[in-house]
Amino acid sequence: MSETTLAPAPVEVQKGWGGQSVKRKEDKRLLQGEGVFVDDVKRHGMGYLHFVRSPYAHAHITRIDVSAAEAIDGVYGTLTGEEVAALTDPFFQISSAPGANIKDYALAVGKVRYVGEPVVAVVAETRELARDASELVEVDYEALPALVDARRAQDSDAPVLHEDAGGNLMWTGLYSWGDFDAALAEADRVVKIPELHFHRFNSTPLECDGALVEYNRGVGQWTIHTNNQFPGFAAIMMGPAMRTGLDKLRFVTQDIGGGFGNKITSHPQLVVCCLLARKLNRPVQWTEWRTDFHLSMSHGNERWFHDTEVAVKDDGTLLGFRTKALDDAGAWLRYEPLGGVIWAQVTPGMYRWRHIELDFTQVATNKAPVSPNRGYSRMQHLWFTERVIDIVARELDLDPVDVRKRNYIRAEDMPYETPNGCVYDSGDYAATLDLALQLIGYDSLAGRRADAEARGKRLGVGIGSTLDSGTNNFGQSQLINPELQFSGNNEVATVKLDIFGEIVVTLGTTPQGQGHETTAAQVVADILSCSPDDVHVRAGHDSYWNSHAGFSGTYASQFAVTGLSAVKGATEMLAAEIKKLAGAVFGGVPAEALELADGGVRIKDNPDAFLPFMACGAIINANNAGLPEDLDVTLNCRYVYRPPFEVPDVERKFGNLTLTYAVQIHVAVVEVDPETGSYEIVDYAAVDDCGKRINPQIVEGQVMGATAQALGAAVHETYEYDEDGNLLTPNFYDYHVPHALDMPPLATGAIESPSPFTPLGTKGMGEGGGAGIHAICAAIQDATGQIVTDSHNPYQRVWELMQQ
Amino acid sequence: MNVSGERTFAAPRNTVWHVLNDPASMAKTMPGVESFDIHDDRRWTANVKIPLGLGGLKMKVDMEKIEEREPEFAKLAVKGNGVGAIMNMETSFELSDAADGATSMAWAAEVKILGPVGSMGQRVLQPIVNQQVQHVLTALDAQVQEAVKQ
Repeated sequence: MSETTLAPAPVEVQKGWGGQSVKRKEDKRLLQGEGVFVDDVKRHGMGYLHFVRSPYAHAHITRIDVSAAEAIDGVYGTLTGEEVAALTDPFFQISSAPGANIKDYALAVGKVRYVGEPVVAVVAETRELARDASELVEVDYEALPALVDARRAQDSDAPVLHEDAGGNLMWTGLYSWGDFDAALAEADRVVKIPELHFHRFNSTPLECDGALVEYNRGVGQWTIHTNNQFPGFAAIMMGPAMRTGLDKLRFVTQDIGGGFGNKITSHPQLVVCCLLARKLNRPVQWTEWRTDFHLSMSHGNERWFHDTEVAVKDDGTLLGFRTKALDDAGAWLRYEPLGGVIWAQVTPGMYRWRHIELDFTQVATNKAPVSPNRGYSRMQHLWFTERVIDIVARELDLDPVDVRKRNYIRAEDMPYETPNGCVYDSGDYAATLDLALQLIGYDSLAGRRADAEARGKRLGVGIGSTLDSGTNNFGQSQLINPELQFSGNNEVATVKLDIFGEIVVTLGTTPQGQGHETTAAQVVADILSCSPDDVHVRAGHDSYWNSHAGFSGTYASQFAVTGLSAVKGATEMLAAEIKKLAGAVFGGVPAEALELADGGVRIKDNPDAFLPFMACGAIINANNAGLPEDLDVTLNCRYVYRPPFEVPDVERKFGNLTLTYAVQIHVAVVEVDPETGSYEIVDYAAVDDCGKRINPQIVEGQVMGATAQALGAAVHETYEYDEDGNLLTPNFYDYHVPHALDMPPLATGAIESPSPFTPLGTKGMGEGGGAGIHAICAAIQDATGQIVTDSHNPYQRVWELMQQ
Repeated sequence: MNVSGERTFAAPRNTVWHVLNDPASMAKTMPGVESFDIHDDRRWTANVKIPLGLGGLKMKVDMEKIEEREPEFAKLAVKGNGVGAIMNMETSFELSDAADGATSMAWAAEVKILGPVGSMGQRVLQPIVNQQVQHVLTALDAQVQEAVKQ
């Protein structure tokens, strides 16, 4: 059951299409089954690729024999790690040493490092034949001990994954702001927390990864039809490895069935497809199986927080914290160790403590590599800060609501500079919390506790908050590796008037269900004074023909800022050109005297002097004789939006790392059965403040999705490995993703605090699931009276908790 | 996974011992044996297709007798290699005289399945192993009875 409550917005909603829940333009084709996903793309003579994967978590490869597989009729060919090592260079590493020294190829070379790692690729005329033939590939292994527990990674007797790195330490960095020792001296109490653990899980898009790759021998170019969600990153990884220019890598997508960050790091598989398309001289198609996705595709970061100390006053005023974060990167650094700095976008969480010290260490283990997953790295850190709040409240016998309100960054403090130089743009956290509490009926909880007690249950309420920091400053990568030459961010859009007046928009983004075509059309319609129905937003992404920039893609909560600001910029350019053209056509009328209205341009004082867009398009594109020579108008406008960022101070690890900060506050009410540890979420509220909402219904859909992600992670979803490195939850039988019937009664609310830093007042959003994970932890702590130290709390763990 | 049990055969201990230590007889007791090679009296290799779910898991299985106290105890190390699966097993049996000239066999095995098949099969592995053990013991009984007749 789901119900929706929208609180009145405290700011006036701008008139126009922006702010309206316009029906999504994408849904017609999707609901009619006319979407084009990567597996829908077919080519004559294409071969199907299947990966032979490692059954060992850690082993030397001593022999590979593909002859039996290649002898089968209908098998087109194979690719081994040795071939990959000869044809490509190792992928560029983001990390500084020691992680920089590892050698990562598209297939395992000489050694396997996790169960499910691709070892050989087989291509055949059917998917089934490729799979059968792969069983004939002989691979001999010499097993090695597996490293499964990251906490043992730096032990002297620990198995070493990457000899090139000299051990399992991949990256480490000390972050220190303020003066934590002074905070300790000022504190009335120091709360100590020995260990907190954020578990390993992942979002699970409906569509797994995939690609169809064609190689054009004539021009030496690959066309990569794929659902990779960050082609800009994939190109940067693939080009140097494949020893080719980026112009030879054309990325094409149309519809993508969910991304969540885990579709950023499919570049190794794409390289394999490219090499085979060239080797076999035929298109190669790869569609990932669900179990393969679970086994090998980019899990979310598992993280421990050790020896945490919190300096606090008796009244609950937080002064600072010190902790050691240990992050499990898995076997390869495919996007890591960026997680080692991304968390710093939200260093203090939502609180005003100024003295913070965090010693971050990332190690390799014999598990699947990690990479961004909805809420990437901030989710772990914000869960930690929220856990600290509730544990401090318990230790000081204070109300968690009071501790939060006492320490929240206040609305009047905005924009607020955090201890590490990030600037929170806007928000009223206390008001957001009040609305969430109101939605679950917080005032009546005492009666409900008694009622639950009478039924033999224990009722608990918990709060969770996240800051969804959006629009990255890629300069933060220099805090990981000062030699990296990345900073800032950008996104591109083109808007043009075609011959018959069609308004055509091209985006650089790769939408995965976020409704970009709709919201872009709303922005364009407001500027050109037309209907969103009149705006044609090209579906998908094509780096060959489309507008495209170095950071193009859809990731990290930024479309509402980067994508829509690019659309706004390009549309405003077009509007100015339309006026310039009309001014010339009307015989020297200045732009100020013109206005756009009703699908055309007219003279304000003489509405009958009206030039429809169709006429404008026709004049410029097909009937332009006699126009003034100096009329600089193409009606085809490209705009690059570049957020206002500086390069962070590498020495101090200080600077603004993201542009906007949406806030989500979730409140959960649970009833725990003390006999069994099972619990039910009996009430749930999620309040989101993402600044100006262009399409509230799309925003609410994201809030609901993030909530489902949170509840799945909190209760059911976990990647558990046994001592030999076998993943025990590699399919939906053991890895339960919540479906509609699993969802609790859900009330959603919204507040709009427009960002003062973005052209539309918008903020990126959609990654607020971490709030829910903590809300469940806090509710269980409230119900059981025991400190919750893990982010994942299935029923048996709650039962164990109650036995303490 | 650990499995163990006890079985009584209506045959003298020497007969049972002979069957258990004769690779050719043992091959007839194993599930889905497609070929069998004897390297010497301590090492054998079998190509098997183990029934698993709706399909079969093809494996090359190497067996080596690593401990022996004739005619009462033997321990074997078994290593299987298949697509997406590695099986490591140590199994032992201990024979003792039972009433009426019969022989009692106490047996135990520690089975480890590695790789994606092991991951997927965690829930179904125990019942499948239990079922296969029953098949092996029944076939073993038949082999013993055949040996008694000879």
